[in-house]
Amino acid sequence: MNCSIEKNIIVENLNLYYGTKQALFNIDMEIPRNKVTALIGPSGCGKSTFLRSINRMNDLIPKCRIDGSITYCGENIYGQGMDVIDLRRKVGMVFQKPNPFPMSIFENVAYGLRCQGVKDKIELQKTVKKALVDAALYDEVKDRLKENALSLSGGQQQRLCIARAIALSPDVILMDEPTSALDPIATAKIEDLINELKKDYTIIIVTHNMQQALRISDFTAFFLMGELMEFDETSKIFSHPKHQKTEDYITGRFG
Amino acid sequence: MPDTLNYYQKNNSKKGLIIDRIAKNIFLSMAILSSSFIIIIAGIILVRGIIPFTTDNLGIGRVSLLRFLTGNTWLIGQTFASNLYSIGFIIASTLFITILSLLISFPVGVLTALFIAKVAPPSLAKILRTVVETLASIPSIVFGLFGAGVILKIVYDFSALIGYQSKGGNSILSVVIVLALMTIPTITTISEVAIRSVDQSIERGSLALGASKTQTNFKVVLSSAKSGIFTAAILGIGRSLGEATAVSLVAGGRRSGFSFDLLDTTSTLTTIMLEGLKETTGIDYDIRFSVGLVLMVVILLTNLLLNAVKRRVGVVNVKE
Repeated sequence: MNCSIEKNIIVENLNLYYGTKQALFNIDMEIPRNKVTALIGPSGCGKSTFLRSINRMNDLIPKCRIDGSITYCGENIYGQGMDVIDLRRKVGMVFQKPNPFPMSIFENVAYGLRCQGVKDKIELQKTVKKALVDAALYDEVKDRLKENALSLSGGQQQRLCIARAIALSPDVILMDEPTSALDPIATAKIEDLINELKKDYTIIIVTHNMQQALRISDFTAFFLMGELMEFDETSKIFSHPKHQKTEDYITGRFG
Repeated sequence: MPDTLNYYQKNNSKKGLIIDRIAKNIFLSMAILSSSFIIIIAGIILVRGIIPFTTDNLGIGRVSLLRFLTGNTWLIGQTFASNLYSIGFIIASTLFITILSLLISFPVGVLTALFIAKVAPPSLAKILRTVVETLASIPSIVFGLFGAGVILKIVYDFSALIGYQSKGGNSILSVVIVLALMTIPTITTISEVAIRSVDQSIERGSLALGASKTQTNFKVVLSSAKSGIFTAAILGIGRSLGEATAVSLVAGGRRSGFSFDLLDTTSTLTTIMLEGLKETTGIDYDIRFSVGLVLMVVILLTNLLLNAVKRRVGVVNVKE
């Protein structure tokens, strides 16, 4: 896969249906590399659905059907011969509610590597440590890597989930409202972390929090009723939105 | 107006309090009633079970507790008028049989549960679930008849094939097969519930990390459900240890000497209680209570042991 191009995710004419109900309408979008792109919009507008279609997690939903294309690194991820497992290793995902596995902190981070067949102990230890350091969690857990991950606090669990994703050295990280279940301090830590991570990763984040979108993102996409209303640099969206609907939403008039 | 409202509220809450108190007393008496049955039954078994060791059993002589627990021969029936009652070898074969049948029923049951819960298409899963639940409710005597009519013959033919004259197929192997058949539905049903209640977000997390479905099922789903699966194993063991009717139809009624030979006859604590029961007085009767006492202790110890193991493997999969 050729990943050196500037715009590494290109969405063209994407339509998505749950059974007979259409959830996304003709989405066209080019997501820039090594930037943070925020997806905003009222509940049910399709932003999480869109996020899930980027690493094909929608495949798990029965009766979900997609047409159009999403090109990642020059390859249509809905094309024939696409290796979904490989795609998900390159396009990682962090969920709304922290979902660590009921195993040790170390094993949580090593999990993806083990699934790839990595057995070398030293390599595992090195990668796990680096991922935990990068996720700004290492100092808090270095003395209890063997403890169960469920003993961590919610914010720590979410950073563990980020560590788990970056241990696979992905290219893109999708985040589905990663701070909505966390308190303000834990949220601030995750936001700092996102700012650090964007040097190495393309980050796409769904958020309900306008302030958060403004603080952390470089680009913002506004979704409404399954349509992409507006997509531009965050500063422009928040200062000079082109659509009235966008302005209404970000100023809190509806949503 | 506020005063009137207050009056009604007060009156209502008073009425509510009385009802609460009555309800509480009803619940309490029901709880006492049901728990007292357990105490009465255990008490009677205890009282009757120690008679053979504490009296001279109408001239037959006192049974030695040590020999009873460790000895190698069991002779029963009034005609013997003996006190050759010892169940050391029976305790050992009961545990041996239970472990063997669990070795079959546990993997089969858990993998069936995994298939029903995660792999099978919904319509097939529904059919299989009904089949398994029906199997779980089949009375043990039916399993026993099936064992006596079908499994004994198969085991007999098999042993003949390898040049072994088995006693009509009555053997450890037959008992193990019958018990496995009986415990698979229990283990499957309970494991399936445990597997189905694993939080889907954990599964999605695994798939999003590029794990395959099979990897996800074995590494994440089963380990998240291990508490419930352990409970399934405990109940399966309980059923194996406690089963009498079906087992006695295929065990062969061994009276002496422990045998590891799968094609040899055997006896378990339950079959020995059931066999040759004629009189309801005398040592021949009382000794069965002693065996019952031992069986209860064995079940209790097994449960304690398994629960200790369950705690040790670190079961922390519920945190909301």
